[in-house]
Amino acid sequence: MSSTAIMKNRVPSLDEIIEARKGKAGALLGILEDAQGLEEHRYLSEDTLRRIALGTGTPLSTVYSVATFYSFFNLAPQGKHSIVVCRGTACHTRGSLELLETALARLGIDGFREDECNSITSLDAFASVRTVACFGQCALAPVVEVDGTLHSRVTVGKLASLISKLGKGGDK
Amino acid sequence: MSDKMVILTIDGKEVSVPEGSGLLDAAKGAGADIPTLCYLEGLVPSASCGLCVVEIEGGKSLSRACVTKAIPGMKVRTTSPRVMAARRTALELLLANHPSDCLSCTRNGSCELQTMAERMGIRERRFPRTKKPMGMDVSTEGIVRDNDKCILCGRCVSVCAEVQGVSAIQFAGRGIRTRVAAFMDRGLASSSCVQCGQCSVVCPTGAITEKDETRAVWRALQSPAKTVLVQTAPAIRASLGEALGMAPGSLVTGKMVAALRKLGFNRVFDTQFTADLTIMEEGSELISRLTKGGTLPMITSCSPGWVNFIEGFYPTLLPHLSSCKSPQQMFGALAKSFYAERATIDPGSLSVVSIMPCTAKKRETQRPEMRSAWEWWKGKGHQGSSYYDVDFALTTRELARMIREAGIDLASLPEEEFDDPLGRSTGAATIFGATGGVMEAALRTVYEIVEGKTLAELEFKPLRGLHGIKEATVVLGGKEIRVAAAHSLSNARVLLDEIAAGSSPYTFIEIMSCPGGCVGGGGQPYLPTDAKRKLRTGAIYTEDRRIPIRKSHENPAITAIYKEFLGEPLGHLSHELLHTEYKERTF
Ligand code: SF4
Ligand code: SF4
Ligand code: SF4
Ligand code: FES
Repeated sequence: MSSTAIMKNRVPSLDEIIEARKGKAGALLGILEDAQGLEEHRYLSEDTLRRIALGTGTPLSTVYSVATFYSFFNLAPQGKHSIVVCRGTACHTRGSLELLETALARLGIDGFREDECNSITSLDAFASVRTVACFGQCALAPVVEVDGTLHSRVTVGKLASLISKLGKGGDK
Repeated sequence: MSDKMVILTIDGKEVSVPEGSGLLDAAKGAGADIPTLCYLEGLVPSASCGLCVVEIEGGKSLSRACVTKAIPGMKVRTTSPRVMAARRTALELLLANHPSDCLSCTRNGSCELQTMAERMGIRERRFPRTKKPMGMDVSTEGIVRDNDKCILCGRCVSVCAEVQGVSAIQFAGRGIRTRVAAFMDRGLASSSCVQCGQCSVVCPTGAITEKDETRAVWRALQSPAKTVLVQTAPAIRASLGEALGMAPGSLVTGKMVAALRKLGFNRVFDTQFTADLTIMEEGSELISRLTKGGTLPMITSCSPGWVNFIEGFYPTLLPHLSSCKSPQQMFGALAKSFYAERATIDPGSLSVVSIMPCTAKKRETQRPEMRSAWEWWKGKGHQGSSYYDVDFALTTRELARMIREAGIDLASLPEEEFDDPLGRSTGAATIFGATGGVMEAALRTVYEIVEGKTLAELEFKPLRGLHGIKEATVVLGGKEIRVAAAHSLSNARVLLDEIAAGSSPYTFIEIMSCPGGCVGGGGQPYLPTDAKRKLRTGAIYTEDRRIPIRKSHENPAITAIYKEFLGEPLGHLSHELLHTEYKERTF
């Protein structure tokens, strides 16, 4: 199957993505990325990981290894909105812990253990909060990404208002 | 490695080493023992522990000796203040997240991390713990993983992938959350793990151990209501001495028997008896497949890690597997039927313990179908709750621990003999312990049965040794057949892929899960090297030559059991007690 044919007309299926990419350098990473993009809740389900392992002839443990190494990949369904708080050293010294706590509190999320995982989704699937080790934007610390847009020198007040705006426009 | 020599200076001393040598080896020539925790001969180095750092003149940063080759003119320092400080910090960081559980740890006294802490004179914990406890994985019958004791050296990951071709485990997560995990962080039991235990023999710490059943065996031994029989696999006599501090390759058959009696086993029998029986059954099965047109090549089935492997990875090839149970399971089935009846012992009060070089043997005892003796008694109208044919399978290491606990000095014991009749065996049974041995033993018998004449040369040299896949040609019934023996599961894959592709030239294949065969099994003494595997194999072949009878079909106890009990090979009772079935395993 030619990969251009798939790309032009419609969103390719997981099988087509695997078929088009397998055997090429960096295939696994690319397939995982595309597969996550296919999923409404932006995550890699166990079934998806299994299909990728089978389709590419990669051991399940290796697929899981890659999927858990990059914080970009989610192994649980993500909320409609995404808030990513940088927890690098620069951001941390400029108050990113408080920002993280603000985001969790505003979204009514309990029980997030930063030392155990890096993302959590509100029970109503309205939003997911994720931490990253470093955005590489230390000069602009602290940084928070809301639905793909990076915000710099974020304060607690600014974050609160960004979050309350998410709820507007009948989104929730 | 080439014959060209490289001259370099290590700690001020000039040394000359073959071109291509690593710095770890080169340093030995200069009398320097560079500490290592992750490096292991035969595995791709992960260079993760940081203990092997050295200073190389002209280099900006320190280098890791385990991944640095000797270069002409190189000037290396292994004990400079900078090296000593970096080495110490690397160790202290590893220890920061390590529990202080030595007193109750299986590896107390055999742990590389503990030894290293002692060697480096660690007296305090400088760094705080940063990781959260992860808990243990006790999901399988054979292996226990305790990730809290893991130092992320990567040996298990690389053995599982490179040597075994299983890849049940990998590193998962990153940073402080890095851990060794099976798919979805589930227990090994739901992964592709075949329980071969190769990860447990290379782990430097107590993070991977066999599931310890010594307490349960002590209880059985001390229970007046139990008659406890023990069977010993061929490879144990070639490794138990080593596990107790004797030189690798020490052959301790008679001393082992004496030690088992001292521990309180009521009868000391030998798995080699049923290894001979396996040859009769499997040899007959081969002849029947050859003459009646059964599935070929036929593949041996005595290595339970291998059986787990084919059931999981190549289920469509299962018809190639011999239907023979392993010698361990044949023994259990006969002990609780034939022997119990002869000795008039209630089979329910019998406890059968096997000493195995293997962790997968623990799972094998608990396969649901392994209750043939109970079924047999039920067929004779007996009632009572069901029992397995084999109650416990202990590894060589577990038996060594029991012997130490009892204060038995193996080396000084006088030699004793196995009990009759399940303790009689031949040299052919002994060589089951080394790669190529089951095939060789089978050929010694099959040839003489088919050709009706004595084999001129008993020893099939091409099938011996540590080469990954070995082959030989034999003339049987006027036809030349090709046979092969592979050890370690990545080599098994090569032969299986050939069969799947329809291009296998072989008629009969032997597969053993572990490198070197049972002598290198997952329940054997820690840190095997090829040198040690060769010494253990040497002991096996010495034993073969020592035993007066060297062919299974000439074992008088085997002839007797067919005459008095089983009837004939592949007969009705054989099928009931000695053969089994396999099924696909999903993960
Ligand atoms: S793994 Fe080694 S250092 Fe850790 S508790 Fe066990 S014996 Fe001690
Ligand atoms: S027991 Fe064998 S298959 Fe299982 S994880 Fe260890 S090395 Fe891999
Ligand atoms: S479990 Fe053992 S062998 Fe595996 S990475 Fe951890 S310390 Fe190394
Ligand atoms: S032995 Fe070289 S880094 Fe561990």
